[in-house]
Amino acid sequence: MVNKRTASQWRTAGRRRIAAARDFVEETDPDALVVGAIGTVALFGAFVGFLLTSSYTSIAFVVFLASVGYGWWRHQELTARGVTLAMTVASSLILVLILAFIVLEAWPVIRYETSELLGIPVPGLGAFTSTSWDPRSNPNSFSMLPMIHGTLLVTAIATLVAGPLGVAAALFLSEIAPPVVREFVKPGVEILAGIPSIVYGFIGFVIIGPWVSDRFAIVGQGTYLFVGIVVGLMALPTVVSVAEDAINSVPEPMKSGSLAMGTTDWQTMTTITIPAAFSGVSAAVLLGVGRAIGETMAATVMLRNEPKIGEPLYNVFYGFETLTSVVANKYGSAVGLQESALYLAGIILFVSVLLLSVGSQLIEAHMHRKLGGAE
Amino acid sequence: MSQDSERLSDAVSRRKFLVSTGAVSAVGLAGCSSGSESTPTDEPASDNDSNDDSSDDTPEPTEAGDDQPSLLTAEGSSTVYPISNKGASYWVSNAPPSDGEYWGSNKEEGNTVPGWSDLGEPDMKIADYFASLYGFEPTDQRSKPPYVVNVGLSHSGTGCKAVTDGLVDIGNSSGPITAELGWSESKAQEEVVDHVVGRDGQPVVVSSDIYDAGVTELTGEQIRKIYQDEITNWKEVGGPDQSIYCVGRAEGSGTDTAFRLNMLGDAEAPMPGVDTRQGQNHGVRQVIQQNDGAIGYMALAFTNEQVKPIAIDFDGTVYKPDKDASHTIFDSDYPLNRDLHMYTTITDDTPSGTDKREAAFINMFLTTFGQVVFVEGVNYIPLPTKDIEKEKGKLPDQA
Repeated sequence: MVNKRTASQWRTAGRRRIAAARDFVEETDPDALVVGAIGTVALFGAFVGFLLTSSYTSIAFVVFLASVGYGWWRHQELTARGVTLAMTVASSLILVLILAFIVLEAWPVIRYETSELLGIPVPGLGAFTSTSWDPRSNPNSFSMLPMIHGTLLVTAIATLVAGPLGVAAALFLSEIAPPVVREFVKPGVEILAGIPSIVYGFIGFVIIGPWVSDRFAIVGQGTYLFVGIVVGLMALPTVVSVAEDAINSVPEPMKSGSLAMGTTDWQTMTTITIPAAFSGVSAAVLLGVGRAIGETMAATVMLRNEPKIGEPLYNVFYGFETLTSVVANKYGSAVGLQESALYLAGIILFVSVLLLSVGSQLIEAHMHRKLGGAE
Repeated sequence: MSQDSERLSDAVSRRKFLVSTGAVSAVGLAGCSSGSESTPTDEPASDNDSNDDSSDDTPEPTEAGDDQPSLLTAEGSSTVYPISNKGASYWVSNAPPSDGEYWGSNKEEGNTVPGWSDLGEPDMKIADYFASLYGFEPTDQRSKPPYVVNVGLSHSGTGCKAVTDGLVDIGNSSGPITAELGWSESKAQEEVVDHVVGRDGQPVVVSSDIYDAGVTELTGEQIRKIYQDEITNWKEVGGPDQSIYCVGRAEGSGTDTAFRLNMLGDAEAPMPGVDTRQGQNHGVRQVIQQNDGAIGYMALAFTNEQVKPIAIDFDGTVYKPDKDASHTIFDSDYPLNRDLHMYTTITDDTPSGTDKREAAFINMFLTTFGQVVFVEGVNYIPLPTKDIEKEKGKLPDQA
């Protein structure tokens, strides 16, 4: 809730700030102040120079580094405070700049796809009300729905594959398997995560695609079903590894207490271990889902790269395009509005991954409250 | 409790990691920007006699140390790239006339480059000769042409955009710029000069099962209907009862634009029948190879035993993929033939649209030597003589 401050309160607060600043200046070495000021100005200058693509950027940056070096030598504590602050600001600034750039680049297509809702023109609405993607013929249309549909289907299938498999494997490894098996199998599963996605994609394109097309009598290759399965397998190591950690970190006394009450191992698992580890396990599944949404290479290679929506909606035997694959497929040949539309796909991806990570944090916070883990 | 504090420390270390990587990439960026600033000044060619390319229509060799970069850049279509890149690599090597294999004539080995006598057997190195036609001073040194030519690879649309934005000197495109950038004919006339350097006969191909089932010829109308979703089964065109798997190239590729223009009648014609689009000719070949009932279009050089070109019947004239037939897909009147373009821009400095550097390089392709070596040599179709004359007319006068 915002506190309404009166003018006099503001003034006292301001005065206190100024007094604190004056104290700081008085107590600090003039030497440190000068170096700090030079470093700040140089860093700011480097940032401005970077934005203007000036050739003096590197000079300003070198001055900044030199002032940091000197400060580190003479006033380590103060410098560390300043540098960590600067780095925090820099990393958030980088994020903001990237975001601003993507939105700016996507703006032409958002404006182009303006359509009316109850008589009011809403920019970008057209991309979500039609289903046609056609960057060549008149009138051009850049609907995001086929890609959103594809991403949803692939993610859902991948979650169905990675979720149950991963959680069950994690439970087995953590609670049931003998330690020797666990010590061997878990690193093995984690190594799976190191297989490059293009390898999965290549196998999918060269072997699975033609085989599925043949067996299921599909016209040509590219199905959401098998892209989803492949992406699910790719997400599996993440799910197993993170879920196993979560289940493993449930305190032993909780389980012992339950067993002491006379429950069986299985009853302890279902009533104590899994509920207690629920936040970690759901975080594991969400991480896996995040990977499925962001997975590009396998989807790009295996899909048909022609944005369409299958009939009926749940037809997973024809796979057209996802939000990531549309960017990977068309960035090279896209110019003008089409290029801008690819940035719009990027924004949608960004927002959905953001929502997912906020969602997983909310689940975690909720579980903390519920299980009283935050005492 | 202990678990919580552990988690907290995890989070902190992750944050630390992010910050430090951010700082590292910032250093990298600073390095990058300063690096790119200094590149144009230390071009290897700047110590040659370089030419002020744009300020004057009759350039004179200037002193070394001229700050105008004496580099000619080209970018664009993967289809035009083989021609342009082969030309550039010959140019940069600046082979002597005694070489015989790449330039000139070597009596001892009995090698002579094609079209050598048409050029009047000049006693000059290759780049020296073509550059001197436009007033550049020969270097008379191997591997040191009067100026360096650099060819980049992207797509037709990107190449057209790059040349109109002034990023490169020559934009390679396998589709006309009007279709690539959606320009009107008059805008194109005002802004760029279109240099056609060769032709590509674009074949329509089918997968081997369809070819073996007897579909070896289609009419233009049938192909149009297949791509516009009016024909969806092979039995409608005399083949087996099988759905058609319709393969296209990415929108914005010159091959796609040319196909729409020549086969469907309009560069913006819709193609609702397409089932899949591939970014490269290789991708088209691969999916046609491994799927039954497929049809596609590509560049001629990519056909093979499993991906066979078919004959096309346009209004009663059958163009066969066979060099000995009376009408072939190599003929210049084959409707899917497309011009391969090199675009240059009209600017205030060069109202004619083509400056001397660009003219000297493009002129190399408009000779018998260039057509045989750079166009036919990479499986494209050379221009007929009258077209060569027409293209030469677009270049500024030779010195």
